[in-house]
Amino acid sequence: MNGRAQSLVAGLLSLLFLGVFLGIWHLATVPKKQAEAPVDEYSKLLGKGAKKSEGFPTLSQIGEAAFTQLKDPLYDRGANDKGIGIQLGWSLMRVGAGYALAILFAVPLGFLIGMSPVLYKALNPFIQLLKPISPLAWMPLALYTIKDSSISGIFVIFICSVWPMLINTAFGVASVRRDWLNVARTLEATPWRKAFEVILPAAAPTILTGMRISIGIAWLVIVAAEMLVGGTGIGYFVWNEWNNLNLTNVIFAILVIGVVGMVLDFLIGRLQAAVTYVE
Amino acid sequence: MMSFLQVQDLAKRYGGTTVFERVNFTMERGEFVCIIGHSGCGKTTILNILAGLDRATEGAVVMDNREVAGPSLERGVVFQGHALMPWLSAMNNIAFAVRSRWPDWNRIQVQTHCQKFIDLVGLTGAEHKKPAMLSGGMKQRVGIARAFAIQPKMLLLDEPFGALDALTRGTIQDELLRICEATNQTVFMITHDVDEAILLADRILLMSNGPGACLAEAVINPLAKPRDRHSIHHDAQYYGVRNHIVDFLVNRSKRYQSGELRSARSPSAKIVNLR
Amino acid sequence: MSAMKCICGAHHSQEEHDLNDRRLLEAAVMRALFPNVARRRKFLASVGASTAGAAVSTFFPFGALEAMAQEKGKPEKPDLKIGFIPITCATPLIMADPLGFYREQGLKVTLNKTAGWALIRDKMLNKEHDASHFLSPMPLAISMGLGSAQQPMRVMTVQNINGQAITLHAKHKDKRDPKQWKGFKFAVPFDYSMHNFLLRYYVAEAGLDPDTDIQIRVTPPPEMVANLRAGNIDGFLGPDPFNQRAVYDEVGFIHMLSKELWNGHPCCAFGTSEAFIKENPNTFAALYRSVLTAARMAREAKNRPLIAKVISPPNYLNQPETVVEQVLTGTFADGLGNVQKVPDRADFDPFPWQSMAVWILTQMKRWGYVKGDVNYKQIAEQVFLVTDAKKYMAQLEMKAPASAYAKVKVMGKEFDPSQPEKYLASFAVRKDV
Repeated sequence: MNGRAQSLVAGLLSLLFLGVFLGIWHLATVPKKQAEAPVDEYSKLLGKGAKKSEGFPTLSQIGEAAFTQLKDPLYDRGANDKGIGIQLGWSLMRVGAGYALAILFAVPLGFLIGMSPVLYKALNPFIQLLKPISPLAWMPLALYTIKDSSISGIFVIFICSVWPMLINTAFGVASVRRDWLNVARTLEATPWRKAFEVILPAAAPTILTGMRISIGIAWLVIVAAEMLVGGTGIGYFVWNEWNNLNLTNVIFAILVIGVVGMVLDFLIGRLQAAVTYVE
Repeated sequence: MMSFLQVQDLAKRYGGTTVFERVNFTMERGEFVCIIGHSGCGKTTILNILAGLDRATEGAVVMDNREVAGPSLERGVVFQGHALMPWLSAMNNIAFAVRSRWPDWNRIQVQTHCQKFIDLVGLTGAEHKKPAMLSGGMKQRVGIARAFAIQPKMLLLDEPFGALDALTRGTIQDELLRICEATNQTVFMITHDVDEAILLADRILLMSNGPGACLAEAVINPLAKPRDRHSIHHDAQYYGVRNHIVDFLVNRSKRYQSGELRSARSPSAKIVNLR
Repeated sequence: MSAMKCICGAHHSQEEHDLNDRRLLEAAVMRALFPNVARRRKFLASVGASTAGAAVSTFFPFGALEAMAQEKGKPEKPDLKIGFIPITCATPLIMADPLGFYREQGLKVTLNKTAGWALIRDKMLNKEHDASHFLSPMPLAISMGLGSAQQPMRVMTVQNINGQAITLHAKHKDKRDPKQWKGFKFAVPFDYSMHNFLLRYYVAEAGLDPDTDIQIRVTPPPEMVANLRAGNIDGFLGPDPFNQRAVYDEVGFIHMLSKELWNGHPCCAFGTSEAFIKENPNTFAALYRSVLTAARMAREAKNRPLIAKVISPPNYLNQPETVVEQVLTGTFADGLGNVQKVPDRADFDPFPWQSMAVWILTQMKRWGYVKGDVNYKQIAEQVFLVTDAKKYMAQLEMKAPASAYAKVKVMGKEFDPSQPEKYLASFAVRKDV
């Protein structure tokens, strides 16, 4: 099978899987017979007969929710009720800020650590200890010390993005081929040129791998962080809809989260491809 | 007058192990010297010390009346594994070196200079390709162009053609010879290939086996310049020198190591003139 | 408490205390009445500052004086952020937004829906919120430094009375006697909540030790129904509308309204920090009037359906209107097949009885949340702003009780706020101290 045929078959299989998945969903949630009109006051109070989400949402309900949300993504009906576009904007802003801070911190520090085996050994225990801590565990501490929930959210993104970048940068820098460094040495390249024209491009694919892991984690964490801290963002949207036990909107939000996560990964992936070299 | 390059009593030891010791030799400007020896005798270490990338445990290297204390643009190095930066095109790999040598040059000056050396090594047309797109021979030519482009006082080549097929190797050897002759370049080169040494070198240094290696013999190439790859083996003296070297590698190099052949504490290599 | 040096305990010195808003006037009068410092202090200490103020005000027209001084002064800080939890307890402070009661007073309020009570606390401590919806025990706890950094918080009004219920999972329909609840897992919204104290009181009356015989988990109210559905808990003593929502979603039934435990018990409160009041006296007054206006309207049964309509949308409670309406009108399905009619299932009497604060403190001590001697009266009078409440209720022509203390009955047992220690000692089930 050549490459093109393979892609074609894979594509068809993907569609098939999707069809089977949606089919099972549809069959499992097929609307039960419309409940009879309420006969007494009691059933009326339970919302029988009225539009009420019962059980797992059907496909058409999801479609309807998606249509309503996407038709007007930027509506603003008060501090606690904003369109999905605005919520996504908030989340992306927080992720962007925390992630950018993490880059500013992790890449230079990773550089130093990667250049100095002593520093690497000295800092490694701390990194290993701090790395596995769930970023959300930092939240109470952040709230207490930073005293601002939005900045605490950004801090949590920072702290979860920083480790993969730091470790990968240090590793990438430490494993730059000695030959290239020797070339730079024999050419009496300035430390500046050595850092930016040799080590950085040499380590870039590894650094970008770290950044790609980080963006994935950051996007995972922002949803949880916003559910915890609330106010704005896609995580808050999920929490607010959960609070209303509105699974339809929760599922819609999950899909949106997935798509945005995929796009973020794709963008960093493109960047990664751009700096990757073949030896 | 002092020789252009003087290597004085060089030794390298790791802990209690001596890799080599009592290495003494000199080189004159424009001279082409090859060094041959079995793996582990410390050839690459000597080259690295000459380049300033490594430090000797004992002894000193003086080039052009100045002691070698670190890497310098005065010595161009062609590395064993070509050491091209894979994210840069052929042109930019050379440009990286050129900008190091002449930081004040503008883009056009750099480019013109690079192009000259790309043309010199016969890579015209491939200047914008990344190393991954080049064959092994082409890569090594870029490495040679990079070393030549900074116009060093001395060129150090670490077994540059080891990984190339015989045909390619021959072509590049010819080119190297041509360029060296044209520029009167001083060259120190490591090789495993006896024929290559006889073709290129004015003098061939033979190292005994390590550990505890020493510079055993310095063979003056009896074949007159210019030497031609196609006719060299018709020269009457060719087999004499070839046999001498091969015999050294097969038999004598071991005996130097065991001490059997070390001439009474002689600090320098035995000079062999087969002419 | 020992670090505090003034009569109310919130200031570093008596002088600083005296400078505080209207008390400046009171202090001046007090000084005239009792020129001897020691005697004045003794008097204030024995009756409590606000009682003293109230007593003095009976013969001295503070209200008129103040009206001249600062009445309807321009708010120092018109843009306010107020935190709330999306529950019907917050009805007055929520409805004041869509119905324009804040705007009327020259305030531009942003209501921030908040994910849980710990966050409500932290955002007040961090000054991200200017004022907040609280559980009534929270301002007491925060002012005492229990479970957080100590910062003086003040209760301006009680948000609502009654309005809670014990909801059990539908599978427990045959277990209506709390004696059968050994091993049950219950959710309450927060440690320092009436919900927690009432649930403990209730099971303790049935002979169960709430710390060992049942499990009590802190769960943010919005997550209670989801946890009940998942079977993680057997029931909860939670705020509405989540009791009603459990019925509506047919996962639970209302075992008992909290009103049946103590009719008229406080539930949530509206308050702000002492610092905010000091810095923004006019804003504080405007805020007081807004929330009291809302409470006055919310007390009228005929307004409840309208209120249900304005507070149900996604911006506020994000609940089906029928659920909220059942809570507010008291005509509701109980999950057992009955339609109950309890008009005072939830009510919105704003008066911050200091006796309520004393009761809360007795329960905090009973269950070990506070240890050692508690100066019940001093803390109650410092945190629950009865004098201010009376003043602003009077301005709005709302009827306020004359006293700050009242005897109440909790599950038939009398609580005398003047005898807190005796009351505490009368409980058989309590955490050993």
